[in-house]
Amino acid sequence: MTEEERKKILESSPVGTFALMAAVIGSMVIGWLFLYFGVFVPRGMIN
Amino acid sequence: MVNAAERKLALSHLWVAFIAFILACFMGEYQVLERSGFIPALESPTVYFASVSTHGVLMGFVLTTFFIMGFGYYIATSSLKVPVWNIKLAWCGFWISFAGTAMAAIPLLTGKASVLYTFYLPLQAHVAFYIGATLLVVGSWLWCLIMLVMFSQWKKANPKQPVPLAMFATTANALLWLWTSAGVALEVLFQAIPLALGWIDTVDPGLARTLFAWTLHPIVYFWLIPAYTAFYVFVPKQAGSYLFSDEVARVAFILLVVFGLPIGFHHLYMDPQQASGWKLLHGIGTFIVSLPTLITGFTVIASLEIAGKLRGGKGLFGWIGSLPWSNSMVLAVILALLMLILGGFGGIVNASYAMNAMIHNTAWVPGHFHLIFAGTTVIMYFAIAYYIWPLLVRKPLFSNSMALIQLWTWFIGMTILSTPWHVLGLLGQPRRISTVVYNTLLTLAWKPYELAMIFGGLVMLGSACLFIYNIAKTQFSPVSATDFNQEIEYAEPYHPVQDVPDYLNDFKLWNRVIAVLMAIGFGVPILQFFFMDTFGSPAWGL
Repeated sequence: MTEEERKKILESSPVGTFALMAAVIGSMVIGWLFLYFGVFVPRGMIN
Repeated sequence: MVNAAERKLALSHLWVAFIAFILACFMGEYQVLERSGFIPALESPTVYFASVSTHGVLMGFVLTTFFIMGFGYYIATSSLKVPVWNIKLAWCGFWISFAGTAMAAIPLLTGKASVLYTFYLPLQAHVAFYIGATLLVVGSWLWCLIMLVMFSQWKKANPKQPVPLAMFATTANALLWLWTSAGVALEVLFQAIPLALGWIDTVDPGLARTLFAWTLHPIVYFWLIPAYTAFYVFVPKQAGSYLFSDEVARVAFILLVVFGLPIGFHHLYMDPQQASGWKLLHGIGTFIVSLPTLITGFTVIASLEIAGKLRGGKGLFGWIGSLPWSNSMVLAVILALLMLILGGFGGIVNASYAMNAMIHNTAWVPGHFHLIFAGTTVIMYFAIAYYIWPLLVRKPLFSNSMALIQLWTWFIGMTILSTPWHVLGLLGQPRRISTVVYNTLLTLAWKPYELAMIFGGLVMLGSACLFIYNIAKTQFSPVSATDFNQEIEYAEPYHPVQDVPDYLNDFKLWNRVIAVLMAIGFGVPILQFFFMDTFGSPAWGL
């Protein structure tokens, strides 16, 4: 790897990290919505 | 190079931590076996609750406190490049904490302190348990004092210089622990000990639970900060990269300390003694404190992305495969982050005011905290130990392959153990029960999950034994200590930090902010007990 390529990597935006973080946060939101509307709400009121 | 005296100090703390850890692992496996009812000879609620209490105290108080103190001394002396300030005081702290642990162990092991790790009043333990736990904490306060003094002295000797990030994080943890432990200290000194000694006849459980909630959540950040410290100061270097941002790391630690403290009421959502408004306020704070974790996740993954690309990885995710997976620190951080995601999701459900009712006091809760504690936190303690043990004993690690197998098996075992816990919680299984055998259709449906948990626990127990074997073989191997030249390596940012603003290099401002937030979050909720009629409860449990 040339010094120029190395510098380019070191100064580039971490797009993979942004994509991973977006996927994780998105999955958490979907999981939360599933638990809320798919499990919690259908169980109804506490009698 | 760190002096022999400091290395001995750190090693002594770490050995106490890991001996407590391995004992607690055996108890954990016994507990899943006993509770399942598969081996009738094991069934005994008395032994079960003594074991659960001891397991919780060993893991939550002894492993963590001793590990954090030992690691803290090593960080302080190696990052500041000065000897530990007042090493006699440090040893004094060690022996006070050790004596406290031994004192608390007697009633725990004899069934006189089966009050679980949370020791909620009016459950009453033998007074030796409370005094022992107090001594453990008092010893750790000496560690806090030493960290704060070393931080201040270094700043005075190096004006305008940024304090090394590792020491900044360690001092943040010392400050956090002083604030955190104050709640439980008040409860033990003014409620638990007088009750156990018979000086008072009744106790107010509402006040006790409020004071314990002060401690109960931020203690998790006390455990986690060493893991986060390793994320920032060791992982990028081990991966062959740079720290993505020193300043952002400081912001994350400050946010953890400031917002991690006044949020404990999400443990009291179902309690009647606090009004809904206070619970909601703490609930909002709980969501705010997820911010530093997200920042940490981003910064660490970004450092790994740079490392993977420098090693030839291409594309959006191609760098993941190029990471040095055979490096125990790198492997551990990947596994720790995976478990943090799963455990964090469970935590968000716990913290959701309405949905908490669905999983409150169910098996979901131990599933969640085991993922955060045994998953994210302890796996990073392993990785730190694998990294610093050779530096402490001046000998190479006995087996890197064994370390990698150990980390993988811990992760696999944790997954097998904690997934059924979450499912069982949703199925309505209560936590804190000594048996699940009721022979109804509902409880029969729990059996396959219990079986899976026994297997998961066994895998983890084997993994824990491998860990102890590896560090013991490293220390006691016949290799000559003089041939070992490796030194600790801290990760640096790509653009070296020359100057940071005062608020990112000191805690004076943040200490005041914490005082204000704590007064807002806990002032009225505690004072109310002194301005309204309350009804004491007599003790029970002995």
